[in-house]
Amino acid sequence: MPEIGRFLARVNWPGFATIVVGFLLWELLLRAGLAQYQNLPPPSAIADGLVEITRNGELVADALHTLRVVLIGWATAVVIGVAAGLILGVSATLRDYSLASIEVLRPMPGIAFAPVALLLFGFSLQMELMVVILPALWPVLVNTMGAVAGVHARLFDVGRTFRLSGAATLRKIMLPAALPGVLVGARLSMTLALVLAVVAEMVGNPAGLGYAVVREQQAMRPDLVFAYVVAIGAMGVALNAALTGAVARLFPAAAGRVREAA
Amino acid sequence: MMQRLFIRLRTVVAALPRARGLLPLIVLLTAWQLLQSGPSPYFPAPSQWWTAAVALVDRQHLAAAFGATVLTFLEGLGLAIAIGTALGVLIGMSDRAARALQPLLEFMRAIPPPVTVPVAALLIGYNGSMKLTVVVLSALWPILLNASSAVRQIDPVLLDVARSFRLSAAERLTRVILPAIVPALLIGIRVAIPLAIVVTLLVEMLTSLPGIGAIMIMSQRNFQSGEVYALLVLVGLFGFVVNDLFALIEGVILRSRPPRG
Repeated sequence: MPEIGRFLARVNWPGFATIVVGFLLWELLLRAGLAQYQNLPPPSAIADGLVEITRNGELVADALHTLRVVLIGWATAVVIGVAAGLILGVSATLRDYSLASIEVLRPMPGIAFAPVALLLFGFSLQMELMVVILPALWPVLVNTMGAVAGVHARLFDVGRTFRLSGAATLRKIMLPAALPGVLVGARLSMTLALVLAVVAEMVGNPAGLGYAVVREQQAMRPDLVFAYVVAIGAMGVALNAALTGAVARLFPAAAGRVREAA
Repeated sequence: MMQRLFIRLRTVVAALPRARGLLPLIVLLTAWQLLQSGPSPYFPAPSQWWTAAVALVDRQHLAAAFGATVLTFLEGLGLAIAIGTALGVLIGMSDRAARALQPLLEFMRAIPPPVTVPVAALLIGYNGSMKLTVVVLSALWPILLNASSAVRQIDPVLLDVARSFRLSAAERLTRVILPAIVPALLIGIRVAIPLAIVVTLLVEMLTSLPGIGAIMIMSQRNFQSGEVYALLVLVGLFGFVVNDLFALIEGVILRSRPPRG
């Protein structure tokens, strides 16, 4: 069974051991009373908490809500970002007349939109989506624009020589050139989307994993707070792995650049 | 000296996007003002934002709150840079340590920084040090991970040279290692800055510790739409200024210390 052998050799055993030893120390220090932190639960209590919220179905319901917000928000941001990025990438004039506006709006901290979103939409899914989409838009837009604007002018000349139609130019020259930029932007947006969905749930819409953490904190259930934190971290890791995995399979040429962009 | 600085500034200004690029923003705000010239619960006119901002300065001590927010942000970022660089260098010096800690650090980074706020509220309670802790913890990971991977990528020849010159450990650190990781550190800081701003505001919103975040939430709860938009502009400007200042600093540092291949 050479595959299993190769897999076992690739696993980062010291890294794995560090985590296990860390958890054991944490548990033992708390049990022995050597470390006394009010409200710091031992890992066993966190594990029990995870079991509890899995059994009563709260974890799945909250996770599904957050996942839905992240995916809808991210997909919307990618679609708008790619469309706007293509247009601005192609037209130097439009770029000239909008770049400064983009540079003013882009560094706006995403959380600043939360009060406005609450004002406009109240405690709702739309509120969360507004907080997610507006900031998640920029990485896709800017990367797409940069990639398209960087296409060598000669490529367009070649397209013209072959008498490519507008649609064919888009499909055969611009999209392939923009692809790495789009994917890099999409990955950055995904990370942002999860952070902002959690933020929106904490200060706004009372639903999902973000709200669950705050709710359990106010209910003074440290074990459940930590259990939800673990769940959110796991969701982050899973989303990231899914995206880089999909890119590696669908667009192997761009995979390296996408993995580095984090 | 002055002349060189002047030339450098001019190249920076030349690299800025053209001012006419502000046109869409100006058109939008003007149209907004013309279509909706009075107060509104949802889309108050930009002139109302200004009136609200002036009232906030008088009533809510806006300047003091803004100062508190900026101070927390700067202190948090500064501490994160110091701690992240120190730990990153220590971890990066040993291949074994780096490999052993990597999965743990990657998981810490994968946790969205905002969730540190309720956790810190549980463990530390609501006070100024909790605010700072949360900001440091959010900004720390990108800096630490970039520092440690940069230390591991230093050309071994460079370290051998340091050894043959019999540099002391301190000299090796200040003359070889730190200069070599500056570009990677800057990238880490660039990622950390928006996280630090978001978490500073979030902790103020959630805990009502004094700051712009607390005032934003209060204005929203009181349906003071003018104030909400005014604060959005203020925070947006803050993000813009921090971003550009950092780009400027980055440009100056990288020009005097070009990245080594």
